[in-house]
Amino acid sequence: MATIAAHPSSHPVSPATEEKERALIAWLRARGSALLGFSGGVDSAYLASVALDALGAERFLGVIGRSPSYPEEQRREARAVAERFGIPVIELDTEELQDPSYTANPTNRCYFCKSELWGRLVPVARDRGFSAVIDGTNADDRSDYRPGAAAAAELDVESPLAAVGLTKDEIRVLSRRRGLSGWDRPASPCLSSRIPYGTAVTADRLRRIEAAERAVRALGVTGDLRVRYHGELARVELSRGELDRWLAPEESRRLRAAVLSAGFARVAIDLAGFRSGSLNVLGGVTAG
Amino acid sequence: MSAPTLESALRAVGIRCTVEAVDRLAVIVPDDSEAGLATVRGRREALRLIGAHGFTHLALELPGEPADRAPLHRD
Repeated sequence: MATIAAHPSSHPVSPATEEKERALIAWLRARGSALLGFSGGVDSAYLASVALDALGAERFLGVIGRSPSYPEEQRREARAVAERFGIPVIELDTEELQDPSYTANPTNRCYFCKSELWGRLVPVARDRGFSAVIDGTNADDRSDYRPGAAAAAELDVESPLAAVGLTKDEIRVLSRRRGLSGWDRPASPCLSSRIPYGTAVTADRLRRIEAAERAVRALGVTGDLRVRYHGELARVELSRGELDRWLAPEESRRLRAAVLSAGFARVAIDLAGFRSGSLNVLGGVTAG
Repeated sequence: MSAPTLESALRAVGIRCTVEAVDRLAVIVPDDSEAGLATVRGRREALRLIGAHGFTHLALELPGEPADRAPLHRD
């Protein structure tokens, strides 16, 4: 069994959170080996780091699912994290955009995406002899509307972070202690989440959204950012602390030009600022 | 939920604009001299009004040349 690496202790962690990390290590070791759906986000990067320590590189594998709904920037970050920490990873293409049930963009769109993802990863785990397939769902996620969780459950994909009760805030604290550079990175759900339910998901729309967000980031926008798709109009959600800056005339012109360069015809700033699950609210979807 | 009614309510509190509705999103197109929404107070007032008129989201269109404007569409 692998030895748990020592990690810097300059960032205090509460005893309750420490206990959850110990429980996570025990959970992983009880499985013996694991294959992780690895996005490179805060949760899966932390889980990969712990799993690598707990299981060793021979008994752990992260898999990145590539598709037009997964930002290229995030893929690069995932690879960088893996390289820095020695996390074994492979990449697989997923084809959710070939599934009309997915591209029709129903409120349970994530179910079809995760069915495709896990439908490809579970056979890989079986072929390579991994005893568990795991994801980075955390304890907070269970209160949100997440139809993708049903697809995971159907294929016996397990969620160890949620199983031991680790919340997002706790994962950030533990990630920081481990030296994971993205510990404070904003959440980054797939690009399809920027398209209102009922509006078709297409590769071209995803490309425009990704290009617009990249262009806005290049202006120096920090914190949460979403470019929501409303046909020719892009609705930009920024952290509230950024609103005053980007509503000022000169900066708003730069922001508008950046978004227009991605192929939108009109640009608007959401005056309430960023809201997680914003389009769930617009579409009248609630957790359940 | 009515864009013209919301527009009237916004004008009544001094925010000069037109409003387009996309589902429950209200898109404000400001008149040329409108600056009320640049302040936190103005935004708070506008957000209060959209809730009262059945909208859930409020976005301010960033002004460009009139020729830039294309109609909103959904499919």
